[in-house]
Amino acid sequence: MAHNPQREDYQRLGLRFARELDQGDPAAATRAFASFGRRFAQNRDALPQSDADRAFHLVVLASEVVDYQLPFATDEQAPGLIQRGKDLLDEALSLDPSCHDAVRMRSSSQTPSIDERYRFLLERVDDVRASCEQAREEAGAELDGERRALAQDIAMRPYWRWMASLAEEALICGRNLAAADAAERLLAADPRDTSDARFTLSYALAKLEDERGLAELERRYAEISPLRGPDDAWILLAHLALAHKRCDFRGARAQLRRIVELYPGAVGTLVRQSELPDGEFARLRVAPYSEDELVLAVSEGVVLLQEGNDRSGRGVLGSWVAREAALLDPAAAREAASAAQPEEAQR
Amino acid sequence: MNAWEELVERCARRRCEKIGPLSDEAYAELVLAVRADPEAFVDTEQERAALVIARALDAYRASCRDDELLDDAAYEAERARRMAALRAECVRALEVDGRSLDAGLLQLLSSDLEPDPLLAGLLSLERDHARDELPEGDAWDDVFYRPHLRLRAAVARVCLDGARYRMAESAATSVMDAAPSDPLGARHTLVLACARLEDEAGFDAACARFSRQESAWSHLARTLLLYKLDRMSAARRALRGYAELCAGGAYALLRPTYVETYLPDRQDAAPCSFEECLLAVCEAEPIIADVPDFIPWCQEQEWLVEGARRFAQGRDLDW
Repeated sequence: MAHNPQREDYQRLGLRFARELDQGDPAAATRAFASFGRRFAQNRDALPQSDADRAFHLVVLASEVVDYQLPFATDEQAPGLIQRGKDLLDEALSLDPSCHDAVRMRSSSQTPSIDERYRFLLERVDDVRASCEQAREEAGAELDGERRALAQDIAMRPYWRWMASLAEEALICGRNLAAADAAERLLAADPRDTSDARFTLSYALAKLEDERGLAELERRYAEISPLRGPDDAWILLAHLALAHKRCDFRGARAQLRRIVELYPGAVGTLVRQSELPDGEFARLRVAPYSEDELVLAVSEGVVLLQEGNDRSGRGVLGSWVAREAALLDPAAAREAASAAQPEEAQR
Repeated sequence: MNAWEELVERCARRRCEKIGPLSDEAYAELVLAVRADPEAFVDTEQERAALVIARALDAYRASCRDDELLDDAAYEAERARRMAALRAECVRALEVDGRSLDAGLLQLLSSDLEPDPLLAGLLSLERDHARDELPEGDAWDDVFYRPHLRLRAAVARVCLDGARYRMAESAATSVMDAAPSDPLGARHTLVLACARLEDEAGFDAACARFSRQESAWSHLARTLLLYKLDRMSAARRALRGYAELCAGGAYALLRPTYVETYLPDRQDAAPCSFEECLLAVCEAEPIIADVPDFIPWCQEQEWLVEGARRFAQGRDLDW
């Protein structure tokens, strides 16, 4: 499902706009609403909005800069983009000190280690939840019907994203039970799994070698993700890792083949195993079963791939996956390996 | 592995079976006689192969003595040479007795394989030598069964090295079930696997099974476990326990040292000694690497760094 910052920005302002129109003449309201989309795109500042809405808009801009431009920037451009991201978030916080998204995104450059980032998120999570729940109650009191449901949903999203970051950070820290616990709490709070917490959960369960837990998660997909079955790259890679860990190489190969069949360009991605920075706003929004989605899953999957005393430095599973993927399409693997070499030389 | 002592026992047992039941005193006399000149008692293929292995291990260990005088390149060359020599002797032992499990095990362990192919080799060896029944009592007491236990303990360690923690756990447990005295220290592999899997109940059960006798592994595993479970004050206490109850533990953790491949099992080290810490830290290395901020957190504990520095000074080690 994934979080979509631009759409959320649009929804926030749309709700507020509609609320203001409700107080006037219904026919005029209909006409005015028809112009909302154009006004949002062309003259956003002239639309009615609160400081919290303005702060969120700055978060959206920061997300565009940090999550979507920075990864493609040159070394010369990068420092400027990083600074711009920070400035936008600081400005958001000056408008709305309780803009949880800005606090959370800002913390990643303010905390000196992943462990401290984890602690930062953990220590504040209950406050964030209380604050979001209060916002949800207020939205519930003011609105009804579909708008009410949407406003309540929007009110909780900063908490969901906070929990999703917490789960991901715990996984990177090597605190796998804490990661699974955070993901479960998030699923309990948002059973439709807007944040795709089940992806992080599947990795945490694979790290814990919890076969039963992973089988149970697969069964729960019917409720959590009714429109998308348990064949995303995360759960497939988690199954692959568990099969490899119990020396079921045939099973591991079967999972690998499924990934290669489902995802275009999979062999190259599985040979390269590039590590990207995680999205600061949320996991980057990519099309399901796209090449980019597999790139994200593999990047998050380094916690599984890079484990063990493998002399190549890729990890025991990482080496196995690269080797087996190459057997499925040697030409694609050669291309990926030769494209990776100049990158390594640069480093 | 004390290959000579096992050879003596093998020869004495066979002789004893041949000449009929002996009193304890007579058997002890026989053992003394064999020990005085084992080669004179070597007769069967199995014993001849065991003799080849005993001599090969002597030669291997003797060649390790001057390692500290060598620079890196010379050391690598010397190491490659002696591993090749050991493998050649294993081949010789296998020519004498194709069923020599110790020769097969040493041959694999000295081949410097990656964890996956090494594990595949060990598991295939295990299949080839499968035995339906365990000896009665503590399987370690049966000298003919010891190679099986060594192999299983090696499987457990290689699983740990290759990030297969449930398999490491079950292999280590099976060694302990067969030989409850656990002379091979499978419990050390077990506690590390429990720490990595964040399995507190498993860790406690493993410690309780050995009357909570602590080792460098148990102290280190407890610290890692509590850190991973984010019980930081308990983790700090566990780290203090490790550093204060294990000589040079702080130094071993902050300045990890290369430990030579176990051929075929861990070298003896006194519980909680510096030597044991070096082994424990080296075995825990993949688990430590999986917790990226663990070492930085250790380095923040000033008392730990100070303890390591003092230890280095006292022993004239680099700091």
